[in-house]
Amino acid sequence: MTKTQQNHPLAKIIESRIAIIDGAMGTTIRTYGMKEADIRGERFKDSTKDLLNNGDLFSLTQPKMICDIHRRFLEAGADILETNTFGATSITQSEFFVNDPREHGGRKDPEFYQKIIDDAMLGDLAWEINQTSAQQCREWADRVANQTGRQRFVAGAIGPLTVSLSNSPDADDAGFRVVTFDQVKTAYKQQVRALIAGGVDVLLVETIFDSLNAKAALVAIREVFDEDGFAAKGTELPIMISAAVGRGGETLISAQTTEAFWNAVQHVRPLSVGLNCSLGPNLMYPFLSELAEKADVAISCYPNAGLPNPLSETGFDLGPPDMARYLSEFADAGLINIAGGCCGNTPEHIAAIARALEGKAPRKFEVRA
Amino acid sequence: MSEEIKFKPLRLSGSQPFTQQEGVFIMLGERTNVAGSPKFARLIKEGKYEDAVSVARQQVENGANVIDICMDEGMIDGVAAMTRFLQLLASEPEVAKVPFMVDSSKWEVIEAGLKCLQGKGIVNSISLKEGEEKFRANAAKVLKYGAAVVVMAFDENGQAASYAEKIRICERAYRILVDEVGFPPEDIIFDPNILTVATGMEEHNNYAVDFINATRWIKTNLPHAKVSGGVSNISFSFRGNNTVREAMHAAFLYHAIAAGMDMGIVNPGMLAVYEEIEPELKVLVEDVLLNRRPDATERLVEFGEKLKAMGASAGETAIEKKAEEWRSGTVEQRLTHALVKGIDAYIEIDAEEARVKLRRPLLVIEGPLMAGMSVVGDLFGAGKMFLPQVVKSARVMKKAVAHLTPFMESEKAAMIAAGQAVKAQGKIILATVKGDVHDIGKNIVGVVLACNNYEVIDLGVMVSCEKILERAKEEKADLIGLSGLITPSLDEMVHVAKEMERQGFKLPLLVGGATTSRAHTAVKIAPHYSQPVVHVLDASRAVPVTTSLLSDDGKAEFVAQLRAEYEVLRKAHSAPQKTVVPLETARTRRTPIEWRADPNTLPSPEFTGVRVLDHFPLATLREYIDWSPFFHAWGLKGIYPRILEDEKHGAQAQQIFAEGNALLDRIIAEDLLTARGVYGLFPANAVGDDVELYSDETRKEVIERFHFLRQQSDREGKEPCRSLADFIAPRETGLADHLGAFAVTSGIGLKQLCDRFRAKNDDYNAIMAETLADRLAEAFAECLHKRVRDEWGYGRDEGLSPADLIHEKYRGIRPAAGYPACPDHTEKGTLWHLLDVQAKTGMLLTESFAMWPGSSVSGLYFAHPDSRYFSLGKIDRDQVADYSARKAMSITEVERWLGPNLNYDPK
Repeated sequence: MTKTQQNHPLAKIIESRIAIIDGAMGTTIRTYGMKEADIRGERFKDSTKDLLNNGDLFSLTQPKMICDIHRRFLEAGADILETNTFGATSITQSEFFVNDPREHGGRKDPEFYQKIIDDAMLGDLAWEINQTSAQQCREWADRVANQTGRQRFVAGAIGPLTVSLSNSPDADDAGFRVVTFDQVKTAYKQQVRALIAGGVDVLLVETIFDSLNAKAALVAIREVFDEDGFAAKGTELPIMISAAVGRGGETLISAQTTEAFWNAVQHVRPLSVGLNCSLGPNLMYPFLSELAEKADVAISCYPNAGLPNPLSETGFDLGPPDMARYLSEFADAGLINIAGGCCGNTPEHIAAIARALEGKAPRKFEVRA
Repeated sequence: MSEEIKFKPLRLSGSQPFTQQEGVFIMLGERTNVAGSPKFARLIKEGKYEDAVSVARQQVENGANVIDICMDEGMIDGVAAMTRFLQLLASEPEVAKVPFMVDSSKWEVIEAGLKCLQGKGIVNSISLKEGEEKFRANAAKVLKYGAAVVVMAFDENGQAASYAEKIRICERAYRILVDEVGFPPEDIIFDPNILTVATGMEEHNNYAVDFINATRWIKTNLPHAKVSGGVSNISFSFRGNNTVREAMHAAFLYHAIAAGMDMGIVNPGMLAVYEEIEPELKVLVEDVLLNRRPDATERLVEFGEKLKAMGASAGETAIEKKAEEWRSGTVEQRLTHALVKGIDAYIEIDAEEARVKLRRPLLVIEGPLMAGMSVVGDLFGAGKMFLPQVVKSARVMKKAVAHLTPFMESEKAAMIAAGQAVKAQGKIILATVKGDVHDIGKNIVGVVLACNNYEVIDLGVMVSCEKILERAKEEKADLIGLSGLITPSLDEMVHVAKEMERQGFKLPLLVGGATTSRAHTAVKIAPHYSQPVVHVLDASRAVPVTTSLLSDDGKAEFVAQLRAEYEVLRKAHSAPQKTVVPLETARTRRTPIEWRADPNTLPSPEFTGVRVLDHFPLATLREYIDWSPFFHAWGLKGIYPRILEDEKHGAQAQQIFAEGNALLDRIIAEDLLTARGVYGLFPANAVGDDVELYSDETRKEVIERFHFLRQQSDREGKEPCRSLADFIAPRETGLADHLGAFAVTSGIGLKQLCDRFRAKNDDYNAIMAETLADRLAEAFAECLHKRVRDEWGYGRDEGLSPADLIHEKYRGIRPAAGYPACPDHTEKGTLWHLLDVQAKTGMLLTESFAMWPGSSVSGLYFAHPDSRYFSLGKIDRDQVADYSARKAMSITEVERWLGPNLNYDPK
């Protein structure tokens, strides 16, 4: 962490108690029973593709519902609110607005994605989602903070994209990539700038299943800090980093193991590093403890509510008491500074987690010089 | 600087972490450097990247900790070559595990390289050659990408040759990096220039000494900085004389490492050992390196010529890696090994050998190759292999299939000529369903299938049902594969299945993706479509499923089995299918036992408390082995000893029995496994369906509580609704009953033993050892049970032979948590706590309450003559709620552990 980050109020909080981060946006939106027409509103009514699962768009077309979710998470006890921007890059948005060339025998390649990066409509849309969502979160975070006398923070959520920089979809060429590092970096830079413009406190690079995608995001953040004067003014925002891992603790697509991942990202001196999503808290434990052992920064943990279970009501196995119990165990083992939930975690889950962690000591760590 | 600098290791990563060990030299593999290896340069220039990748692989196999990659050559487009090569290496898991060193004199090539590294690599190199400003800017960029950096001892005036110049420039660079750029000092690696000695120029004679002294100075004065160098430079004067060169490298490294050199660019397959340098040569070489006498060079040159004349310069082959051991296995074993390890070097030779052996090319694919892919699938499922490795295995498979294809073609041609019908290569439509944009997992499935010679038509993401079905008809596809990651995609899959039924499709449907499941497929999707609907768990399973569905011989059996499995899943899901009685009623039907103070039915044990058995004699356990399951483990169904005479399997059974006993002899004689156990007897009484254990016979202090479940399915009033708690005297009887508990293992040392076998590619004996250890653990449980019956009093005069014991002709039972009478595995946690199993034996419980090491048994001892084994069967919500309250465990959690026993669908 840089000096400014070390003095950040959130940095102080996670030294004295476990901060709570909110739960799932996507699975919570589904409980509102929204229909295709609802997400389209007037603005996207003529869109040719289905938009219902483009959850980020709800921040523009159904701000009331999204703000209601933000409010419920804050009231459940979340200290950190995530913006609804997981897929708010031109690259991910293109999946919902541009025809897939493969439907007609074409392919997705860097040439295709260059057009996406250069597409003004997609770029403007991505910007607008990020900025709007950040502003909405800012407003609610401050409002609830004033009501409760407890400061709340907005984390700009930077998701993993729908493309991988590490994997080739071509059976005949293992060296092929659909997209380039620079294209990914450009898309991320735009997202970072819009999130900052909307007033976020922290930048959160999350659900990392491909470490190279994450690296592009981290390089993008660095370049924005340098180019836009944040570095010079000492106003760099703290960075949180969180990976999604499989049964061997590996980033799911690029297969980097926990300690290797930490070695690869620790140069940004993040406020925290951690795990989210993945296979739920149970299977995450050994890798969380490995990370806690290796990393000299705060540890965050916001797992899925267990494994996906399409036959259960929430689509996931674990209920609020289960999540609360797992995260309490992690806290008792001295592993975490930030806790919450990912897919399948409703405001009720977060409330249960917040209650269970109240008064529990955060993990102690000493930032190495 | 006088005070000791605390060692701060250099930490790097590929897909695996790399942490420098103090005092251990880091080998930077040099063969993937166009400047260092003419062969590699040629491969790159000719565009033979695949062969170039195998050079990288050899470097890693030969022990390189990091590989140095350099494309600096006039005829090569550095940016393009660096990018392409690194992207290929990213798909090569055995190489991608190590960190990479991106080596170029051009910044744009370095940056192109950094954009391909998911891990933390090393930049080689930056320097003050073009001034401070450029140096600072480049260092900041290296830091931005998160790499370590090699700094050459170079400045505006050129390369530092002397000691004084070297340390001056290094110190200046260090101060800029640490103080101004904020570079972590342990990530700075100085290369103070290894320059060629023995050139005949007097001013070059001290180059080695200058390097070594500069190294020592850097390590003492620039805290945490590392030192590296290109070692082969030192001996450049002796080109063509490998014996002298290797001796020089070994001797130079010996002295430089002693001075603190951390790493060097070397050929890891060709490093000689200092102690093994021929003594006369060693003196001559060190005279040169350490500049010990003015005529050192002449003397070494003279000696070198002599060696050459003797033709002794055969070092290169002598130190080549010895032949790979796995090549000595059977062709089936070699194919499996190649697939699991992702090695394609011999795959064509092996595929050919298998084709000749099995006579038909298709049998090679459906036999050993598919078997190898199944191993890959199992390892992936167990978290022991990761996705890139699965993909790499598929790419190896692709090569084998490519080799076999012409043979299949000519076979087909012959069949057509003979007027027989011929099936075309399978064609598969893949798509992520409407509403879902998740692409990557589906792409991986597509690659794996394409590598297996299926024609894959990938329609991309957000594909509507109409488009999928339209295209399937158009292409006359053999299969449709649907992918989806988010929950709403499941409904879309149901929709596609319904549409396929409505439109009269006849082809199988595959579904996969994070939220899909076997149960959901069975219950919600399959019923809507009369053709097979198969849930594919992960990419590694796509091929076996597809092969089965598209094979003439295998399809019927596969589908029948699938339908049967789905039926079971549907039954388990549709509730309630059994009539159950309310828990209260079940409790009134407890096992009828008349409790009274009878020393015969309620004997007093000779001790209470806990006892530990360490190094229990294996020879004793051997007598208690029940051999029948041993044969089952090897796929031979039958009862020992009759199986040995079995008409069909007798010969095979005798062989594995003999080999098993031979290994067992060795295990016992050489003490290769250790048996350890702990057991205890405790005052106990039943309280409801729980059993309380007390600290002593006053029965006041409860030390532990076991929670049991009760049969609830309606047994038409005839049979009792049993619970294990029934076999312990209820507290209200005031009778002094006892409960025993035990945990034993014979698996200590097993992993090491199996690893030794596997290292020799002796999977057979590794599996044999595991099978035997399992038997010994069961035998231990049996043997200990006998001892406990004796100590409890009632077993002393049972007079049973070991064979009788195996058939459990004795009184009392020893049920285990996770087995039919008490299916809840979490009760093992209570047992572990009660006996302090971990501290006393080293046996652990995993997160899922499995015992470690594997060959372990634990359970409870019930002594009452009426106690018996039974199967819990289905239980209802009322008991789950009751149990949840008794155990203080949430209902969801209870339902998770008792899933198969629930007589209802929890959601």
